[in-house]
Amino acid sequence: MKTITKLILSFALPFSGMITAQSQQKIEMRIDSIGNAKLNISMTMNAQEWQIWNGNYGNNPSALKRDIERGMPAYFLDDFKLEKDDMNRSYNLSLNAYGVCEINKRGKWMVDTEQKNAQLTELADNKYMLVSSPPEYGGNLQQTYIIELPQDAKNIKIDKDAFGKSVFEFDMEPPSSGFNMMRWAGILLIVIGGGWARKNAFSKK
Amino acid sequence: MKKVAIPIAICVIGLALTALSFMGIKQSDADDIDISIDKTSFIMPAAHRVYANPDAMDGKYYLFKAKITNNSSETLEDVTVKYRIPNYIDWTELTVSGEMFPGQTLVVPCYPKFKNDITEKTTESIEKTEIEISWDGAEDDDIIEEDFTFKFTNRNEYVYTGIKSEEISSWADMYDNDALIACFVTPNDPVVKYYTQNLQEKLLKGEAASITRKPEDAVRFLAGIYEATRKSHMVYSGTKGIPKSTEDVQSIVQQVRLPREVITGNTGLCIELSCLYASVLSSAGIDPIIYMVPGHAYPGFRMNGQYYAIEATGIGGEGMGGISSVEDAYKQGQKQLQEFMQRAQAGDPRYTLVDIHNVNAQGVTSMDLKDNDFMRKKVDEIVASWSGGQQVQPNNPKNNNIRIPDNRIRTSNNALSFSIPTGWQTMMRPVPQMPIMTAQVIAPDQMTTVTIYDVPVSNVQQAMATVNQYLSGYGMEVQYQINGNTLAGQTYSANGNFNWIGKSLMKQNGIRIVAVGAPDYLYNQNSGIINQVYNSIK
Repeated sequence: MKTITKLILSFALPFSGMITAQSQQKIEMRIDSIGNAKLNISMTMNAQEWQIWNGNYGNNPSALKRDIERGMPAYFLDDFKLEKDDMNRSYNLSLNAYGVCEINKRGKWMVDTEQKNAQLTELADNKYMLVSSPPEYGGNLQQTYIIELPQDAKNIKIDKDAFGKSVFEFDMEPPSSGFNMMRWAGILLIVIGGGWARKNAFSKK
Repeated sequence: MKKVAIPIAICVIGLALTALSFMGIKQSDADDIDISIDKTSFIMPAAHRVYANPDAMDGKYYLFKAKITNNSSETLEDVTVKYRIPNYIDWTELTVSGEMFPGQTLVVPCYPKFKNDITEKTTESIEKTEIEISWDGAEDDDIIEEDFTFKFTNRNEYVYTGIKSEEISSWADMYDNDALIACFVTPNDPVVKYYTQNLQEKLLKGEAASITRKPEDAVRFLAGIYEATRKSHMVYSGTKGIPKSTEDVQSIVQQVRLPREVITGNTGLCIELSCLYASVLSSAGIDPIIYMVPGHAYPGFRMNGQYYAIEATGIGGEGMGGISSVEDAYKQGQKQLQEFMQRAQAGDPRYTLVDIHNVNAQGVTSMDLKDNDFMRKKVDEIVASWSGGQQVQPNNPKNNNIRIPDNRIRTSNNALSFSIPTGWQTMMRPVPQMPIMTAQVIAPDQMTTVTIYDVPVSNVQQAMATVNQYLSGYGMEVQYQINGNTLAGQTYSANGNFNWIGKSLMKQNGIRIVAVGAPDYLYNQNSGIINQVYNSIK
């Protein structure tokens, strides 16, 4: 149940009955080299939607955080940051989602879209766009997802899982192992000790 | 010499550190793996099918989810997470991640699949979940073991919300689990089915609301349920029930008698009566609704986009000073519904409804209950009370085996046989305008059906094209797949989608198609009986 296209649905739910003209929501998802994602959600609303959204969430960000966490059970989320622009009735929310993609038994990285025959548009080598109109809103909410796969992702394929849902599949090398402090300290001591010994040896002469 | 000793010593230490850094490349151990467990505090046996389904309510109801982070400098291979609940679920592997890179995080949600007999759990208990995380090459000491306890309620316990009481701030928080009330609506319970059949046959002397889709027929059926409860002297037995306010934490948990217990016990609370009505309505193919308002719940149905309601507790009881007539109960229900709609449209969050079939489609399905002879006998006694004390002969619960003639010509080559449970009705040539439809067998729920088509063509593709052509005249469209003599597909129409599986059989003058299925929201629930019928087609 890893899904990216249902990620933010719960976030839009409070005003589901209030949407009259089509509203637009933009969701940017940047996946890093270890499979975690940085999410950025932005939306501009009409006056009525803005009032209701503020009543439910805008003035109560902890409820927003809790509802998003409950609406995205497949992930661990943190680092929520909400920026509101009251003058323009818009918000921008950013958060981190851990474990968005995982490696299957064949060593391939996988990201589920949770949509059958998702209409994905390739914007760049590692960047895709997905436009979705959740049926819950009767076509009145359009969500535009920008999905940015890691820069190191290679052989990106859009495949289907057992249920016919579109999934990203790609190869990626493991990130280079971290700085080994002990090893570098040892080399440094050898160099210092060697240099010192050499200096002392020469000065003796 | 002394001058060189210190630098040499530094060199030696440096060499030792460098060597150690290589020797220190050890297999990752438990200290390098960071685990964080997000766990549920309770499990309701009534919702066992919801917990088992990762797609139900978008995966909201999990036992736990584990966040595993590889903090070592090594890539872990075949990271395996397994868990068990002693006495309930044996060690079960949740996931195997092929590789886990340094710094990578794995999130593993657990959707436990309990055995069906969990619905016989009548006592509450505290249970332990044990989790084990291992990977390729991990020593016994490195295997990570975690555990936590949770409250395992009894089958009748309904917890209105999973949100901690200190976090509850709104009515929506209070009713966070409202969809799970659908687990207590049990149209597939054999006892409820038996009760519904008797209601249709003995009290209403036939009803066809789900077929005619006429609200007046459905209201007649709703009134029939009320009459059935009134005639059997069912009484309202109130205790503290639906939460009255967000401070009302005492009633966040409620014991809900199952519809079969309400029928046989002849007593129920408002929410229990609502579940009974919803079960019977659903069993008869009508879309049931449970309206929830502060301190009360009442049942109704939705048909052709309109909502209807009845005040089920109008049965009251002699000890309570009065029993409403069915007209008054319906009038009261409609009055309450009018107020409900006004409040709901004004945005009052305390007025919510649960559309049972809608939440069924989201994976919240009823619990599994076994047939019970004693309860059937109790139903017979209740049915007798409707008809002035006459004992009703119980039906033979054993399956039967029907044979449908081929174009009325019985030959051993062309006869069709399949096994169906008792109570299903067979209609020969049910639609005269569709001569290719030889027969239809309908389950008591009026939803699950077997349809037999005889099409005078030479192959299955042509046969299906002909069926599709006929159905398109009724506003339906069939999409299907053929695999040998096996068929699977969906029939789309304005009334909803119908999922089916079937077989094609060669006969002397054409192709016979036998399809068995149910509306999409009921298909999973009825898949057992559908498969049973399908497998018996010969």
